[in-house]
Amino acid sequence: MLNFLDVPNSLTLASLEVGHHLYWQLGNLKIHGQVFIVSWIVIGILVTASLLATRNAQRVPKGIQNLMEYALEFVRDLAKNQLGEKEYRPWVPFIGTLFLFIFVSNWSGALVPWRLIKLPEGELAAPTNDINTTVALALLVSLAYFYAGFSRKGLGYFAKYIQPTPILLPIAILEDFTKPLSLSFRLFGNILADELVVAVLVLLVPLFVPLPVMLLGLFTSAIQALVFATLAAAYIHEAIEGHGDEHDAHSP
Amino acid sequence: MFDFDATLPLMAVQFLLLAALMNVVFFKPMTKVIDDRNDYIRSNEADAKERLAKAERLAKQYETELADTRKAYQATIAAAQAEAQKIVDQKIADAQQEAQAQREQAQKELDQQKQVAMQSLEQQVEALSREILDKLLVGI
Repeated sequence: MLNFLDVPNSLTLASLEVGHHLYWQLGNLKIHGQVFIVSWIVIGILVTASLLATRNAQRVPKGIQNLMEYALEFVRDLAKNQLGEKEYRPWVPFIGTLFLFIFVSNWSGALVPWRLIKLPEGELAAPTNDINTTVALALLVSLAYFYAGFSRKGLGYFAKYIQPTPILLPIAILEDFTKPLSLSFRLFGNILADELVVAVLVLLVPLFVPLPVMLLGLFTSAIQALVFATLAAAYIHEAIEGHGDEHDAHSP
Repeated sequence: MFDFDATLPLMAVQFLLLAALMNVVFFKPMTKVIDDRNDYIRSNEADAKERLAKAERLAKQYETELADTRKAYQATIAAAQAEAQKIVDQKIADAQQEAQAQREQAQKELDQQKQVAMQSLEQQVEALSREILDKLLVGI
């Protein structure tokens, strides 16, 4: 009888736990263990799928090779659309990995019932619903476009800040802060909000009612991955092209 | 919710490692596979196009040769027919000429003999008439 009373507690698939983390101590640094566990699983999925797809690559693709080729062509088109035919090739791995990692992370958070795995503290969820992950990715994007700008134009990259008129200099500088900020908070907010909405709905009405929201969540997750990767490519393109010679780049 | 800690840099490093790894195990080999396939298809297509053009050229050449041959044999037949016709005409003309000549010859001989006969007849008539005259005159 006592066991029966315990059932609702042990069976709750969702409850709200924001701000609880499974802390791991690394020297005197604290890290969020649950983020890394799920991200390792995501990395494992990606690498396994890649290895399976490329291990026995055929001229006529079959099965997983087909899927991964589709993924590759998708990210390649994405990079090509943003960066242009000439520039996109070296950036495909970075942008493609961004997209695939975020996409698989988001969907793992939406599809896998992590709640069934008990942690001493915190809960397993998509790595992208931790602000550390999204900020890390957004900062990498910032570094990437600075690197792209500098490697293309050297110190002439700074000319971009005063290019149309020096009056806009503060705004141009501000842009470099708002870009990673908006990138990281958009992704973080969307994923976390989606998981919260699903959790709240599951808490209120356990069956069927949350399904549309979950589907919407899948949609949002995919869109957010696409948006993040597209914006990263767009920022890199902006850094490479600058404001001045944009017309030259499109005319030939 | 916003507690930043060592997760951030570690995640960044981990992501860079993932990007490098994915570049090696996924992007490079897969791109190579796709590019190889594109090259294969392109070269095959070019090859096929070339062969098709060659076949069409051969067909056209064959057709022109056929037309030439047809023209040549028609010309030969026409020439042979014309020649045969000429020979036939020639032969007919010759034969007619010969027949004409023979007929004239015969006519001529006929006339000659008629004349000879007439002459001898006339002499006989004269001789007879003289005899008749003599016999009559004797009575006188």
